[in-house]
Amino acid sequence: MNWRRWNNIIHRDLGYIAFGLTIVYAVSGIFLNHKRDLNPNYIIGNRVFELRTNLLDTNISINVINNILKTNGFSQKYTGYFKPEPGVVQVFYPGKTVTFDLNTRKGNVEIVKNRSIVKEMNYLHLNTPGKLWTWFADIYAVMLILLAITGLFVLKGKNGIKGRGAWLTALGLSIPVIFVIIYTL
Amino acid sequence: MKKLLCILTTMFIVQLLLMGNSAKRFGEELKLDKSSKISVMLETPEKFLKKTVRIEGMVTGVCKMRGCWMDIASDKEFQKLKIKVKDGDMVFPLTAKGKYAVAEGTLYKISLTKKQVIEMKKHQAKEHGTKFDPDSVKSGMTFYQFKPVGVVIKNKK
Repeated sequence: MNWRRWNNIIHRDLGYIAFGLTIVYAVSGIFLNHKRDLNPNYIIGNRVFELRTNLLDTNISINVINNILKTNGFSQKYTGYFKPEPGVVQVFYPGKTVTFDLNTRKGNVEIVKNRSIVKEMNYLHLNTPGKLWTWFADIYAVMLILLAITGLFVLKGKNGIKGRGAWLTALGLSIPVIFVIIYTL
Repeated sequence: MKKLLCILTTMFIVQLLLMGNSAKRFGEELKLDKSSKISVMLETPEKFLKKTVRIEGMVTGVCKMRGCWMDIASDKEFQKLKIKVKDGDMVFPLTAKGKYAVAEGTLYKISLTKKQVIEMKKHQAKEHGTKFDPDSVKSGMTFYQFKPVGVVIKNKK
């Protein structure tokens, strides 16, 4: 068997193995790339509401908090509350925070939902678990390098690395170089 | 072959979900047994600078963009302490709000000029989706934050 056949077998089989992880890193990469504009792990929703209460005193006791919550339709059991400043209370529920302000008579409900699957992909992409995953991710990186190199030699002839392939490879290499030059000069 | 692919994909997704749900420890293991009161630390911060201490309290806020900070409620009313990490060192879950955090690390001082305060408040306003008037800042400021080496987030105290 000649070297090209071995090259193509390695390229094919590594391609199959790397498929799942490539999808994980690629999908997660898109979300992480835009982390300045959106949270890659959560979908956050906010709803502002007018506070229904006759209270004027901003010295808020636990009974007052319970009363305000009940009056405004929050009957679910909360996990805790915090008073960041006089007249303002944050009440925490699993996946939800209700904030009300007796000074402005406004309230806000913030609902946080996981971006299912994508959150777990980001967890792996950012190497949050560390430990064994670090080695696994390194192996995957080496696999990608091998895939890239073997990929250059899959075809021979005018569409191979000596023809069209050379031009496209040069184009691919020049893109990061151009960006580095533009952004660092 | 199709069956095998389905089984492998399902196993992979289940594994991912399980891994994500178990992430409640961040950074190094906690070593100290006793926590310092946040109120005492903020009243006499100079005594605590450069010392490794343990703090604990309810999580009242988490960075919405990158999970790079958490606010921890003090034992004193209207007071909290921000624990801040470098982006990516630890990613605190947004769902930690209302849960209980124990952190080990050091208190540090931040002194900002008026220009830096304006930049910081602009960033905070963007993050919270609120309006900010730069003219409301009259001078620079000094405040304290906590740099953790290890954090544990629990459902209850």
